Amino acid sequence: MTGPAVDQLALRLEIEDLYADYAEIVDGGLLERWAALFTDPCLYRIVSKENFDQDLPLSLMRCESRGMLEDRAFASAELNVYAPRTWRHLIGHVRAAPDGAEIAARASFAVLETASDGSTHLLCAGAYRDRLARIDGTLRFRERLCIYDTALIPGSIVFPL
Amino acid sequence: MSVPEARVWPVEGETRVPYWIYSDPAIYAREIERIFEGPTWSYLALDCELPTQGSFKRSMIGERSVLLVRGADGGVRGFLNQCAHRGVELCQARSGAAAELICPYHQWTYALDGRLIGVPFRRGIKGQGGMPADFLLDAHGLTPVRLAQRGGAIFGTLHDDTPDLAAYLGPAMLPLYDRVFDGRALRLLGHSRQRLEANWKLMLENIKDTCHASLLHVFFVTFGLFRADNPSKLRMDSTGLHTGLISQRGRQELTDGTRDIRSFKPDLTLQDARILDTVREFPGDATVIMHTIWPNLILQQQSNTLATRQIVPRGPGAFELHWTFFGYADDSPEMTERRLRQANLMGPGGLVSMDDGEIVERCQAGMATDRGRAGVVEMGGAGVEDTDHMVTEAALRAFFRGYRKVMGL
Repeated sequence: MTGPAVDQLALRLEIEDLYADYAEIVDGGLLERWAALFTDPCLYRIVSKENFDQDLPLSLMRCESRGMLEDRAFASAELNVYAPRTWRHLIGHVRAAPDGAEIAARASFAVLETASDGSTHLLCAGAYRDRLARIDGTLRFRERLCIYDTALIPGSIVFPL
Repeated sequence: MSVPEARVWPVEGETRVPYWIYSDPAIYAREIERIFEGPTWSYLALDCELPTQGSFKRSMIGERSVLLVRGADGGVRGFLNQCAHRGVELCQARSGAAAELICPYHQWTYALDGRLIGVPFRRGIKGQGGMPADFLLDAHGLTPVRLAQRGGAIFGTLHDDTPDLAAYLGPAMLPLYDRVFDGRALRLLGHSRQRLEANWKLMLENIKDTCHASLLHVFFVTFGLFRADNPSKLRMDSTGLHTGLISQRGRQELTDGTRDIRSFKPDLTLQDARILDTVREFPGDATVIMHTIWPNLILQQQSNTLATRQIVPRGPGAFELHWTFFGYADDSPEMTERRLRQANLMGPGGLVSMDDGEIVERCQAGMATDRGRAGVVEMGGAGVEDTDHMVTEAALRAFFRGYRKVMGL
């Protein structure tokens, strides 16, 4: 492999690590560390594919700063009332390419939800569209758009996707 | 399916609600027949979801799929979403635009006004087969569904005796409805949809249950968006089936009202408070009107977040909730941003609504296997009258009274 190909591979591995960190934080109940994965300001949105395809601006969650991410994480951990559950993100098909000073990245995700009775079901499937920035040598989310295919959500979305 | 004779409402009346109304398949079958397919108006869509000639959208009246289509004359018509030939579900896309409606099975083709305009092989092939000579296209159009429109929302009914929409809503509810649907053109912001494993009535009851919002929803309570000690009013129509909850935003302070509320957090602050940057946009003091319109609509005006929540029953133990968020066509970009930000409170991942989706499922889990007992609905006494406070279950009792009458229970 030549130089550019090695660089590209290294970048993808780095992004895969970032995505793995993200999944561990959300699925592991470590939401207090979630906001630190983003730049400030930032844009985090969960949008249904139905809305996205029709250019409708509604988000299921929308945070525009680390502060809003922290508020959402705190509400999810401390304020909201929901049945106990465990999430497991499966993330794959990672693609990335430099875009100006940032990196445009994409991936597919599925979230498996395990209820307190131990049964597991598919909560939703979708795709990430990210813009990543390198801050002090570390990749951070400038923008994370979670486009979910599952137009009819089974139950509620109690954590960030 | 007949309702078993053992299904007798408790002698205490509306201060008790028997758990079997949430799980009995015979009760559910009677609800579909008498309520959703009875003389009621079901909310179907916003007019702005059908922007152009040929725009269509699928919606639901109870369990029946209904197709809304904007015709060449600009008018919206409703049809059962069913081919007149063999009953095939005609349209599978949720929304879109078409020049005509074609059934994929045998390509029966309908105009946008529902007329049957084409049947392949109608004259046979080489003199063989075909439809009988007396087969009339005009006699086999799509089955129309009667619609009513007011202020940008579209309702449908499957029953001939349903009164006109204004009479159906009644004089007490009309001003609440017209406050949001005031005739301005609406702007569609988007949809959210979720399926909840609970009886459909629990969603309406959740909105009519004025006490719970002050106890369950920490977000509401702490930031004063909706709380028992805020100036509030409860308004009902003569049937008791429609309800308006009218309230006014309060402050984050310890009062008689908040001392009893364990979920009240006097010291909680937001890192970024833009989500609570609300502005007054309607006349009067009310900042919240949660309007339940029997049998399938919750019209939500919480601060600057406006939405319809359409209830679709899916058997006694499940329903779908379809949220349609909107603003007005003349909103400034700042107002649209504000609505989109405040939408964080609502929907399947809403900082507030998430609690409701979870709690109705928990209600169902608790009640579904216990058909012998009844819930206690005594907050505020036994009355069903309008009140100028929220510390009452009067709207629930009024609802059960109306429900019993419709259901013959």
